[in-house]
Amino acid sequence: MAKLAIVLAIPLALLATVASLGVMVVDVREAGPDGHHIVVPVPLVLAQTALAVGPAFAHQQDLRIHDAEALKHMPLARQVLEALADGPDGELVRVEERDEQVVITKQGRSLHVQVHGGHGEDVDVNVPLQLALQALPDSQGNIRTTALAAALGGVRFTDLVKVHDGNEQVHIYVW
Amino acid sequence: MRKSIVVGGLVLAALTAALAAAQTNTAWLHVRVDEAQKSSKVRVNLPMTVVDAVVKATPDLIEEHGKVNFGEHHGMKLADCRRAWKQLMAAGDAEFVTVESEDENVRVQRKGDLVIVYADHKGRPAKTAKAEAEAGKPEAEGKGKGPGEVRIEVPVSLVDALLSGEGEEVNLQAALAEVQKRRGDIVRVHDTDADVRIWIDDQNSQGTSAR
Repeated sequence: MAKLAIVLAIPLALLATVASLGVMVVDVREAGPDGHHIVVPVPLVLAQTALAVGPAFAHQQDLRIHDAEALKHMPLARQVLEALADGPDGELVRVEERDEQVVITKQGRSLHVQVHGGHGEDVDVNVPLQLALQALPDSQGNIRTTALAAALGGVRFTDLVKVHDGNEQVHIYVW
Repeated sequence: MRKSIVVGGLVLAALTAALAAAQTNTAWLHVRVDEAQKSSKVRVNLPMTVVDAVVKATPDLIEEHGKVNFGEHHGMKLADCRRAWKQLMAAGDAEFVTVESEDENVRVQRKGDLVIVYADHKGRPAKTAKAEAEAGKPEAEGKGKGPGEVRIEVPVSLVDALLSGEGEEVNLQAALAEVQKRRGDIVRVHDTDADVRIWIDDQNSQGTSAR
């Protein structure tokens, strides 16, 4: 009986540890009666580890942005993201056309993008500004994967993406 | 006990008021574009801190786009514009420019602290425009558009700031500094196709002031 308890306790403890460190969940519901419901939980710690140790295994060239034109605009992107992160909350952009609406709002430390299409499709995206900042490459074009891994820990309990198109749904959230 | 609750409540209320005041003191740049024919509406609200960041991060952009060569396009140097502007400002409210032509009338006038530009495009019969297009006359199709009018309002202080530089360059930095101090309209364009309004206030939404 004690052995059984130990055998059960180990995976439960592991599961609890992983859960306490955060899990990113990709939830896809396909349309139709035969539509699949796919749920893929990815422990954040796994993603963070992959990002942290990735550079040791990957070619440096693969973790670098080579587009000089794109790199030229990175300082501007960084300044804007930092100013947005420090700035007040509010609705930044609203575009309304006959059958489409796009709204970008700054709420706390996130940008919230909502797109409502004319054919019933809805897209909600939350962009944590800290994560976006860390995802920007440095002046040499290098993507700082370690900083990105650390920033991932700060996006827990966030709905990152919600796409609703007819009867199909995709939901990515960090728990 | 009751006294402590009252004092606590007052402190909380004071803090809330201070926070609200801090929030409303942030200046916001608003852009509103309405295109009635396309049923299109665009609203942009940006904290001035973000606008500042963009301006500071793009000195090359400002340098590149801050230069205006009046000599090439209008046969008038910026220095001449400055002199003319000073004299016009001394004259007070008046109509500075009136251009009447077959296609359009243009009027520029000062009214209080605004410079107002009216362009009244008369349009031409479609047959004439088509005939000119077939004859290969440049811009004939564009001129064949129907009648329309444009009204642009720009604060005098903004023009002052733009012309405060030296040489053949407009002083975009001074204009931006002026924009940041200003509360109210910066530019208003009324056209038959679209209405555009750019203004600054302390609200984070366009609300009723967008009317």
